[in-house]
Amino acid sequence: MSATLIDGKAIAARMRDETRAQAQALAEAGWTPRLVSISVGDVAAAELYVRNQQRSAEAAGVAFEARNYPEAISLEQLTGVIQGLNADPRVNGVIIQRPLPAHIPVKALQKAVHPLKDVEGMHPASIGNIVYNDLALGPCTAVAAVEILKTLPLKMEGLDVCVIGHSEIVGKPIAFLMMGLGATVTVCHHMTRQVAVHSRAADAVFVAVGKPGLVRGEMLKPGAALIDIGINRVPDADGNTKTVGDADFASCAEVAGWITPVPGGVGPVTVAILMNNAVLATRLQMDHYRAAFAAAV
Amino acid sequence: MTAKVIDGKAFAANVRAQVAAHVAKLKDGKGIQPGLAVVLVGEDPASQVYVRNKHASTIEVGMASFEHRLPATTGEAELLALIDQLNADPKVHGILVQLPLPSHLNSELVINRIEPAKDVDGFHISNVGLLGTGQKSMVPCTPLGCLMMLRDHHGSLSGLNAVVVGRSNIVGKPMAQLLLGDSCTVTIAHSRTKDLAEVCKRADILVAAVGRPEMITGDMVRPGATVIDVGINRIERDGKAKLVGDVHYESAAAVAGAITPVPGGVGPMTIACLLANTLTACCRANGLEEPKGLTA
Repeated sequence: MSATLIDGKAIAARMRDETRAQAQALAEAGWTPRLVSISVGDVAAAELYVRNQQRSAEAAGVAFEARNYPEAISLEQLTGVIQGLNADPRVNGVIIQRPLPAHIPVKALQKAVHPLKDVEGMHPASIGNIVYNDLALGPCTAVAAVEILKTLPLKMEGLDVCVIGHSEIVGKPIAFLMMGLGATVTVCHHMTRQVAVHSRAADAVFVAVGKPGLVRGEMLKPGAALIDIGINRVPDADGNTKTVGDADFASCAEVAGWITPVPGGVGPVTVAILMNNAVLATRLQMDHYRAAFAAAV
Repeated sequence: MTAKVIDGKAFAANVRAQVAAHVAKLKDGKGIQPGLAVVLVGEDPASQVYVRNKHASTIEVGMASFEHRLPATTGEAELLALIDQLNADPKVHGILVQLPLPSHLNSELVINRIEPAKDVDGFHISNVGLLGTGQKSMVPCTPLGCLMMLRDHHGSLSGLNAVVVGRSNIVGKPMAQLLLGDSCTVTIAHSRTKDLAEVCKRADILVAAVGRPEMITGDMVRPGATVIDVGINRIERDGKAKLVGDVHYESAAAVAGAITPVPGGVGPMTIACLLANTLTACCRANGLEEPKGLTA
């Protein structure tokens, strides 16, 4: 293996230290950041994420409340819940856990969250801000992937970047964030004729498609950075399941200059970004409140 | 010269005719007349010409045109109040604030005051985000026009390599989103791109929107590629004023498979798409089926 392993946990820990200091300062001003997580129905699928977020919130000095609503709740009722949270000054961010039951369209809920409380960065206005290069609250996974790349000794301006996967919450926002940093970005997806032609020309490759082993070493330019956002559960040799990314780690690590492991790469940084968004959202709301009510500081 | 010349004037005339036919059907069948409100603040001579053209084209396709000309000294509150009034007016389906606004007005604030469903320029932050997340939105006119011409020329765009040169909010970025929506592999190149010629040479579809006269030359074009030139630059040549695009036409046309000229290429499509967007907004506002082939 020639690639340097990128330690997502260490990056996340550094971010969390900064977040904690900011959360502390907000708490002293009477604005302790507070998140509410909403899950619906059977919690098993989301439980791991919620627990993870809760732990991370505690470490960052962010209050965290996990709510679960029954499977039978209607879209209207849930929207009402979110409107209540929007109006509640003690709540600074709303997280909508997925999966949701089939009768609850996730986009409708994401749109219902007030943009200033959109800590997941999923509201159309949040995405619009990213496209317009005005990063307020960005989608956590995309921001995490880009923040990881920024820790490497690479000049973002003029960097040739290949994004594999054009999902609305990961691939496309990464493309726009990187473009905003001055990179030349190519977005590939399942209709792309020869992904390798594009990926091999890139100084940095992001992959987020959900297909284990999609990126192999021969698809990379020697020395390139590989940020693997995939999370796939596959059976291992002993018949247990293990978590792997979208890259064939062994062959990519031979060619790449830097590589993120899965797990322990983008995942931990994503949760750290969520907490950073919570702090950012709280500050935006505090400023908004003070401007609206001209309160003395 | 080998390239097929894409005649934007004829194409735009066809789009306007389609819009006019829809409008006539709406009026006869439902008693609904789509309406476009254009707001002009100040006396900028170029803006006055644009607004006049938009007014004439709106009338021509049978829509209602509402013009609001305000003095350059108009304050923010007054302008926002007008926007609120137009947002609430059921006869107005599309609102366009002619840019640039006088420097004392915050155009971002004004644009984001427009009801997103009536934002026929597609500049409201929610429309930008809706387009970015593949949801129904109002799409900026110029890139929508380019998309229509590309679809007409290629049929399906799926799997083609598209390179967009320029990352402006008005053209480059929405163009990239639209091409991704049609399953192109998309590269966005710009002033910081290291080897622009090499990047452009990969393109089956090359869209130039940088605002630099004739910077894309034939040696940067892949043989047989489709070249869409969004640039409109006024230059002086042999003592005469001349309009040229961002593409060096002669050399590019010798290599390309198809190319849009300047003038007479993308330019005429912008107003045609503004009318198409107004029609789309009107249909959505009334819960009617959207016109086919006139949206993204």
